[in-house]
Amino acid sequence: MKQLKRGMFSALVTLAAVGLLFGTAPAADKTTITFADFGWDSAQVHNRIAAFIIEKGLGYPVKYVQGETIMLNTALIQAKGGEAPNVNMETWTENWQELYDEGLAKGKDPNTDEGFVNLGSNFPNSVQGWYVPRYVVEGDTERGIKPTAPDLKSVFDLPKYWKLFQDPEDPGKGRFHSCIPGWSCALVNEKKFEAYGIKENYNIMQPGSGPALAASMETAYKRGKPWLGYYWAPTWVLGKLDMLQLEEPAFDQKIWDTTKACAYPAVKCDIVVHKRLPEKAPDVIAFLKNYETTLDINNKFLAYMQDNKASTEEAAAWFLKTYEDLWTGWVPADVAEKVKAAMK
Amino acid sequence: MEFPKSIDIPLDIWVDGIMDWVLSTFGGFFDMLGTGILYFLMYTEKFFLWLPWPILVLGVGILAWRVMGSWLAGLGMAGMLFFVGALGLWELGMMTLALVVASVIVSLAIGIPLGIAMASSDPFQAIIKPILDGMQTMPSFVYLIPALMLFGLGKVPALFATIIYAVPPVIRLTNVGIREVSANVIEAAHAFGSSYWQILFKVQLPLARPTILVGINQTTMMALAMVVIASMIGAKGLGLEVLLAINRIEVGRGFEAGLCIVFMAIIIDRITFSMASHTKDNTDR
Repeated sequence: MKQLKRGMFSALVTLAAVGLLFGTAPAADKTTITFADFGWDSAQVHNRIAAFIIEKGLGYPVKYVQGETIMLNTALIQAKGGEAPNVNMETWTENWQELYDEGLAKGKDPNTDEGFVNLGSNFPNSVQGWYVPRYVVEGDTERGIKPTAPDLKSVFDLPKYWKLFQDPEDPGKGRFHSCIPGWSCALVNEKKFEAYGIKENYNIMQPGSGPALAASMETAYKRGKPWLGYYWAPTWVLGKLDMLQLEEPAFDQKIWDTTKACAYPAVKCDIVVHKRLPEKAPDVIAFLKNYETTLDINNKFLAYMQDNKASTEEAAAWFLKTYEDLWTGWVPADVAEKVKAAMK
Repeated sequence: MEFPKSIDIPLDIWVDGIMDWVLSTFGGFFDMLGTGILYFLMYTEKFFLWLPWPILVLGVGILAWRVMGSWLAGLGMAGMLFFVGALGLWELGMMTLALVVASVIVSLAIGIPLGIAMASSDPFQAIIKPILDGMQTMPSFVYLIPALMLFGLGKVPALFATIIYAVPPVIRLTNVGIREVSANVIEAAHAFGSSYWQILFKVQLPLARPTILVGINQTTMMALAMVVIASMIGAKGLGLEVLLAINRIEVGRGFEAGLCIVFMAIIIDRITFSMASHTKDNTDR
C-alpha cells in the first residue's frame, strides 16, 4: 500500500513537471531548436547568442543539450529521439573528420533522414599549436621570473630543453601535454613528434579531459613554472594567459598529408544543422547562414567572461549589446526590433 | 517563489581564494609530497609490470582456491585474469592494479587508525561522519581539478582522488566493528587488568576483524570504480583506454577494457570477501 502511494505521488509530481514544461513553452507548433552545447566556452556563448535571437526574434522554442564532441555530433547526424541536437555552432571539423565527412555525405543522400548540411563559417582562422608560457623564453621582470629557455623559438629547439619540461613520472624525458583523447589532434601531435625528431626526448602526456589540460596549464602559469603543450584559440585560457606559440614550418597541404611536419592549418569553424531543419525552420536557417563573427570578437567576449566571472548567458548579452551593428545585419529589421525589445 | 537575490553567500570566491593561497604558500610542500607519493606509486607499478604473468595468474588461482575452498573458483579467477592478457590489455591492467593497490594501502594506513579513533570518541565520530558523507557524495570532478592543481597532471592526483572516494568504507566499518564488540567482553578484559592498548589490540581489533575486512573489501571495490574517472586527469591504465574508446565511439574497444575492469573487480571482491567470511567462521567456532 505504502509503495502504491509513493508510486502515485511520484506520478503526480511527474505530471505536474510535464505540465509546467508545456505551460511555459512558447509557440508549441514551431519546431524546437536544440543546440549542441559543447564543453568549451566559445561554443556555449555562440549557442546563447543564436538562441536569444531565435527565441525572442523568430519565436522558436530553444534548448541546449550538453555533451562531448563525438557524442553530440553523432546524435545530431542520427537525430533520434526528442533530445538530439539539431544545430552545431562550432564544427572544429578536423577533431571528428571521419564522422563529419560521413554526416555531410548522408546530408546529401535523399534516401535517409540522417545527416546534416553546412551553413558556412561562424568564424575563420582559429589557431592550434604548441605553446609555452612567454616567461619561459623572455622572463617576466614583474613577477621576478628569469628566462629559463631564452633560445626556445621553434619546435626544433625543443630537444635542447627537455630537462626544463621534465616528466615527473619518467624523469629521463620531458613532458608534452597533448590534446584531449579522441580528438584527431592527439594523433596529429604523435606524427609531429616523429617528424620533428623529438620522440627520444619527450613523452606524450594524455591529459584525459579538457578541464584537466586547461587546469594543468593555468596552475603551472600561476606558479611561474615551465609548461609545454598543445592548445587552441579562441579559448579563455589563451585570452587570459600570455602564452607563446612555438614556430613550426608553414602549413603545406602536401606535407600535412604525409608527415605532418608543419603548422596546423587555420581551421574555419562552420555552423551545421540537421538536414531536415531547413524545411521546418527556413527563417532560422536564413539567420544562421548570415551569422558570422571574427576571431577577435571571440577572444574579446571570452576575456570579458573571465575578467567579470560572467556566465555564458551574460557574455552573450554583452555581445548583443556591444556588437549591435553586427548582429542586426543578420536578421530582418522587424526581427531585430523584437530582439532589442527583449534585451531591455 | 524566487529566492531573494540579496542573500548571496560568495562561497565560490572564498574557495577560489583559499585555493590560490594554498597554491602560492604551500606549492613547494605539495611538490615534495607529490614526489614522495610518486616514488611509492612508480615502485608499485614497476613491481606489477615486472611480475611475470604466469606467476600472477597461478598465484591468483591458488589463492582463490585456498580461500574460497573450491578448485573451480580458483580456475575461474585465474581464467578471468588470463583473459585480461588475452585481450592484449595486460600492461594497462597491471597499471590499473598498481594504482588500486597503492590507493588501498594508503587508504588502510589512514582509514584504520581513523576508524579506531572514531570508535573511542563520540564527539570525534560526530565530526568525522558528515565529512565521510561529503567524500562519498561530492561529485568527483569537483575535487579532481583541485587535486590536479596541487599535484600536477598524472598518477599522483589520481591516487589522491581515489583515496578520497575509497577511504570512507574502511573508516566506517572499523568504527562499527569496534563499537559492536560486546561490553561484557571489554569489562572482563578490564577485570583482568588490561590496559587500553591491550584491550584494543588483543580484544577489540581481533573481534572486529571480520567487519574491518568487509570494509577493506568495500574500499578496494570503490578504488577500482574510480579508475575510469581518475583517467580524466591523466592516469594511464584501463580507465584511459575506456575514455579513449568512448571519445572515439569505438564501442568494441570500450567493451574490452570495461570487461577487464569488471573481471579485476570480481577477482578482488571474491578473494577479499572470502577472506573476511573465512575469519568470521573461525571466530565463531
